[in-house]
Formats: sequence, C-alpha cells, structure tokens
Amino acid sequence: MNPILLIASKESGELLLSTRGLACLLAMAVVLSGFGLLLVGDTELSLLDNAQVVYDMAGIVTALGALLALVVGVDTVAGERERGSLVPLLLTPVSRDSILLGKLGGVAIAWVAMYGLAAPYLWAVGSTGQNLVDGLAAVALLGTPVVLGFGFLGIGLGACLAMARTGLLIGLIALVLAASPLLLGPSLRQSAIGRAFDAVNPFSAAVNAYDAVIIDSVPIATQMLNLGTTAVWLALALWFARTSFHRVAR
Amino acid sequence: MLIEIDKLALSIRGVAILHDVRLSLGEGEIYGLIGPNGAGKSTTIAAALGLLAPAAGTVRVFGRDPRREARAVHAGLGILPEQGGFYDWMTCERYLTFFARLHGRSLSQSELRDRLARVGLAPRPGQPIGSYSRGMRQRLGLARALLNDPLLLILDEPTSGLDPRGRRDIHDVLLALAERGVGILFSTHLLDDVDRLCRRIGIIVEGRTVAEGDVAELLRSKSCVQRYRLRLAGEPPRAEVSHVKIVALDGGWWTLDLDPARPPQAVWHDLIAAGWQIVELRREGGGLEDLYLALTERRVA
Repeated sequence: MNPILLIASKESGELLLSTRGLACLLAMAVVLSGFGLLLVGDTELSLLDNAQVVYDMAGIVTALGALLALVVGVDTVAGERERGSLVPLLLTPVSRDSILLGKLGGVAIAWVAMYGLAAPYLWAVGSTGQNLVDGLAAVALLGTPVVLGFGFLGIGLGACLAMARTGLLIGLIALVLAASPLLLGPSLRQSAIGRAFDAVNPFSAAVNAYDAVIIDSVPIATQMLNLGTTAVWLALALWFARTSFHRVAR
Repeated sequence: MLIEIDKLALSIRGVAILHDVRLSLGEGEIYGLIGPNGAGKSTTIAAALGLLAPAAGTVRVFGRDPRREARAVHAGLGILPEQGGFYDWMTCERYLTFFARLHGRSLSQSELRDRLARVGLAPRPGQPIGSYSRGMRQRLGLARALLNDPLLLILDEPTSGLDPRGRRDIHDVLLALAERGVGILFSTHLLDDVDRLCRRIGIIVEGRTVAEGDVAELLRSKSCVQRYRLRLAGEPPRAEVSHVKIVALDGGWWTLDLDPARPPQAVWHDLIAAGWQIVELRREGGGLEDLYLALTERRVA
C-alpha cells in the first residue's frame, strides 16, 4: 500500500478505533443532538423559517468540523510527539512530504466522518423544506476548505510548538475569532471593521455563501469569490503545515 | 564505520547543548553512551539520526550525512526511543505490519510470529498494545526496530524500568544481534548493562565526551581496578594467578583487585583452574563505576 494511504488509514484508525477519537466523535454527536433538538423542539426556534434552520445547522456543522479538524491536526503531530510515537514514524524511509500528506489525509477523513455524522441532523431539521440539498452541497463545497484549513493549521501549530496544549489553545483562539460571524449580530458585521474582517475571514466567506445559497436560493456557482477566499485560506494553512512539519526535529 | 561523530557541537533554540562529542561504532560492536541526566546523550542520538542539525563538527552514518541523505540512512537503521512510541489502540500484529509496510516490506503470519518470537513475545490476537506491560512494550519496540533487518540499531535507555528477567532477555537479544554483525549504539544510566554488553563506551558530561574507547583500556588508563570479595572453602593455593592481586583477608573473605585488562569471567576460570574453591563472590565496586564517578564528579565539582 502507498505510504500516504497507509498513514492516512492509521490516522483514521486513531479517530475511529481509539478511545480518544471515539470520545471526540461522541461529543460532536451530543452537541449536534442538542442543537438539533433546540431547532426543532424549542417553541420559538421551531417557528424559524426552514431555510434559516438549515443555514444555522450548516454553520454549526462547519464550526464543529473545524474544531474536530483542529484537535485531530494538533494531536497528529504534537500529541504523537508527546506520546513518543512521532520519532519512529519520522525515521522510516518515507519522505516528510508523504508523512505529512498521510496526516493531512487523516484530517480529511475526520471531516468526512463529521460530515457523515452531521448529514442525518441536517436532514432531520431540513427535510420538510426545499433547501436541504443546497445546504448539504454548500457545506461540502465551502465548508470543506474552511474545515481542512483548520486541520492544517492544527498540524502546523503542533509541529512548531513544544506542547500539544499550547497548540490547541492558540488554534482554539484562532477558531473562535474566525467563527465569530456565527456569534456576532448583523449590525456589528456591517461596521467598517466587521466588513474588513469579513473580507479576509474564510469562515465569513463560507457563512455568507450559506446565507446566499440556502436562504436566498442563489445558485452556488455565483459564490466564486467566497470559494476563492476559502481556497486561499486552505493554501495558506497548507503552506504553514508543510513549512512547520519539515522543521520537526523530535 | 557505521557511525562516526567528531567534534560535534549543537544548539537548540540558542542554547548550546553539545560542545565536543565524538564517537565511532563499527559492525558487530555494542557501544554504550553513558553520562549523567542532561549530559547530552539523547541529543547526540538525535544528531546521529539526522533529526537535529549540528552547529559544528561532523556526523556520518554509513558514511553519509544523515540530514542530507535521511531516507538512505533511515532505511538501514532501527531505532528504539526512550518513550517506545506505540499506538495503544493497535494490536501488536497490526502495529508491526504497519511499520513493515512503511519499510516497503510485507509480513506473512509466520514471519510475524517469528519476528515476535525473536524478542520473546507471542502473538496476542485482539489485545491492544495499551494493555501491555512495560517489558512487553520494550520487546515490541525492539521487534519494530528490527523490522528492516538494520545494520545499525540505536536504543535510548532500552532496559530502564524493566525487571531483571526482562533486562536479561533484552541483553540476550542484543548480544545475538551483535554476533550477526549488527552495530548497536545505546544510551543508558545502568552501568551493569554496559558492563555486560559493551566493549567500547563513550562518557558524556555537559555536552563533552570526557572518555571514549575500549572499556578495558579506559579502566587501565585511569587505574580503575575491579575489586571483588571471595569466600573460599579452605585456603587459596600458593601458586600466583596472573591479573589478580590479593589485597586483604577479613573474616574468611578474601579481597582481590582484578586487572581491568582481563574480563572478570576469564579471571574466575583462571582461579578455578588454579585450584581456588570459590564458595561465594561479591563485587566491591571499582571498575566502570569508579571510572564513571571519577569522570563525572570532577565536572560536577
């Protein structure tokens, strides 16, 4: 088997077969269940328009996916280093780039697992409306680069910082800042600073595209600018992960 | 030479860790790298593996620069880090198969069993590595390090935390490998390990090699005799035995100093052949321990 696939399958085993990985997925399922119940069961929230509910859920899935990817990304380098399992991997006759690609593959598999976990919840809250398929497609197309970017950021932080905890903390601060469009009201986002931040924030790009596609029913093909912003973010995070991973000493 | 390190200096984040380290290791040799905590043993190993870049000096493994030709160097060496580095959720079979494939090899079930048997482990289908004892993990780490049939094995504290039986088993495996021509470099705090396994050692203190070479020659050059106490059935024969000096007789115990040039086991054979009826034998210090203390205390003081 190709070493990249081999390492990626090891990483997926870490998520799907280890107690730590399963606990992560279970926590994600609990959070999604909580939000799902709120959206369909709460008296006031259940009055929301179906498209609005799918939009909210899409944002939550993207944020949770980014969180999971970040945790997996930091753990796959810094966590392994702390457990002593990184050095034997680095000392195999496999190139650093192949090891990194395998680890990036692990982050991608974590996102696929998260997406698979979230799909029934999206269906549960949005199956009565017309926007479910658009929502699923928007999350797949625009959520994926945002989420993978955070996973790659986690790998980069894990590689350049001495402790996994520090990497996770910095990554979480970055994630909370980036995901602030989900928390901030529309008026704050319309301020000069809010607009400037939105222009460079990949999370804003994804959320704005969700808004257009799911709520305003605009074709997804019109969201190239937002898609470009998320792609630039992904490229920058990949560059950071590669540069940092090549410097890992032990 | 499998490893040649000369005048190695190395800094990490601006802090000088190694100042002047040297060592050389040939085929079939077991080389002990010893020194106090924080002396730079693990850093030296990391430099030999190509994980850290030297600030000065040379590092050659198989005659190559381990940083520039990392893949070629890694293909020929096996490593057991101090922290074994296991995936606790995997079974040992899956773990070895994973690393064998990364080395471009595939293992059949019988090869797998054979690899495990070589280090004294039996297959445990379905049992995750997380449930293994420290000794079992060390054995598994050794099995992983040997997957590519390396010419050079680098071990960081391979027997620390093992019970006497576990240590003896690891010693036996290492001796058998050295007999087959594998060069072994290992760092340790346990002088008993060095005594039993190594013909050559390097002592590192504060990032400098303060002694390096053949153990017997080092002991002789530093006048570190090996002192033993023996209880005999009766008096010792009058005939002198070479390499032995009787120092004292105290309550039926004879104190002897052994010439460091001759291994103790060989001296016991000589004594028994000369008619000494040895009932009990105790080590009184001296030897490597004295050498180590003398070289490290001087620096600490």
